[in-house]
Amino acid sequence: MEGNIEALVGPLSLVGYGLGAIGPGIGIGIVAGNAITAMARQPEMQGTIRTTMFLGIALTEALALIGFVLFFIASAG
Amino acid sequence: MAQLIVAASECDVVNEVICAPANVNELFEFPTIFTIGGFEVTRTIILMFLAALVTVAILWFGLRQQRLVPTKFGAAVEGMVAFVRDGIARDVIGPEGQKYLPYLMAMFFFLLVGNLFEVTPLINFPITSRMAIPAFLALTTYVIFMFVGFARNNFRYLIDTVWPKAVPIGLRWLVGLIELFSIFILRPITLAVRLFANMVAGHLMLTLLLTSGLVFVTAIPEIGVKGTIGVFWFGLGLFMFLLEILIGVLQAYIFTLLTAIYIESSIHFEH
Amino acid sequence: MQFLNVLVVLATEEGGESGGGLSLVLPHPDELIAGILAFLIVFFFVWRKALPSINKTLEARQQAITGQLSEAEEAKREAESLLADYKAQLADAKAEGNRIIEEARAAGEQLKADILARAEEEASQTLAKAREEAQSEKGRALAEARREVGEISVGLAEKIVGGSLDGKLQQELIDRYLADLEKL
Repeated sequence: MEGNIEALVGPLSLVGYGLGAIGPGIGIGIVAGNAITAMARQPEMQGTIRTTMFLGIALTEALALIGFVLFFIASAG
Repeated sequence: MAQLIVAASECDVVNEVICAPANVNELFEFPTIFTIGGFEVTRTIILMFLAALVTVAILWFGLRQQRLVPTKFGAAVEGMVAFVRDGIARDVIGPEGQKYLPYLMAMFFFLLVGNLFEVTPLINFPITSRMAIPAFLALTTYVIFMFVGFARNNFRYLIDTVWPKAVPIGLRWLVGLIELFSIFILRPITLAVRLFANMVAGHLMLTLLLTSGLVFVTAIPEIGVKGTIGVFWFGLGLFMFLLEILIGVLQAYIFTLLTAIYIESSIHFEH
Repeated sequence: MQFLNVLVVLATEEGGESGGGLSLVLPHPDELIAGILAFLIVFFFVWRKALPSINKTLEARQQAITGQLSEAEEAKREAESLLADYKAQLADAKAEGNRIIEEARAAGEQLKADILARAEEEASQTLAKAREEAQSEKGRALAEARREVGEISVGLAEKIVGGSLDGKLQQELIDRYLADLEKL
């Protein structure tokens, strides 16, 4: 059984990364969608909204990126 | 093209439907070409210096003429320079942004060239897909905004981050913990990994699709109808190729923009 | 456990030269040095050469544009004053023209009246002369007629008188005729 678990590490980390990417995917969608709504409502605030949007995306995306790194760490074994 | 050949040489066109390399690393790590005093010069390292030279050359030729009416190329370079200066440094940081402008501008152009190396014929390798450059730049950004934060706000920078007075007391410790983790640990890591991951993913996709396309199409005489799958792979690869141009520009912009945002949040630190 | 082991290995070795996936994520020391050097080249170029040159160019362009703008402003003002001049001149010319036309019209009017008056006068003169002539012609014709009638009457009378001038009736007839003639 030990050998089988060893063989599963790579595919399992892939599945893990896939699961981890769901949340940030939804989150970035919400951030970008709301930013578009805000820009459409107040085009004169475009610069500020874009900056804030990228900050929000950066925060949200962090989780997916951690997942990306952990995938490599996990599959390294 | 070297990595294309590596990936293609191991492709089993009879049993596989796409040419996946046995090890991802072989797409990103090249053999040492020569050694200078223990310093192993690989293709990546040569490309890094080439990127620096190309960046310098673009800026040099783009801004060389002190003409009042610039050429087309000069106008394009000036447009990008004005974009970094006005759209990033001035709009995000404010009047103080001028101080950080050399760093932001060098970063933007270097990353832009480095990213677009991915879709440059005969080079086809984004140097930013090696962790060295994103990590170094993210670390520099981290040092800058940490330094600015502590220089402007003393230890209030750390204390107010952990203990934000604007937040109700019940949630304060939780918000403080998240903020501490996010600002002091996550920011530099995600900054570096975002660029790195995008470029690695893009390079993998491009290499896989284009190589598979070529290999399967050239193998049509041997394997018959199955080889036409190569046409599909190649078409998808071309689409990704166009997408990667966009991603390369966007990632250079985002990296520079986030650096500016982080510096700004340290200058105007308020909780 | 595998995961923790990897983390431990990561902490102790910092490299992962074993060829696993991790070596992809961690920066290669030689590449790090090369990357730093390459970035520093770009940075110093931008800092020392590119930015000052950009600022100078932009400043020069700004000045040129400002200069051109003020020049354009000047030209515009000049053009405006010129236009005003032209407009004034045009108005003057128009007024002059109007005046001339008015004068001409008045003169024409005058001339017309004169001509009419003269024509009328001439016509009336002609009429008067014609009437006078007709009058005199008529007088002359009358005198002639009277004379002729007298002569004829006398001749007639002579013939009658010469033939049978006796009888009271004839005498009476002659007398009445003569009286009638007198009346004419």
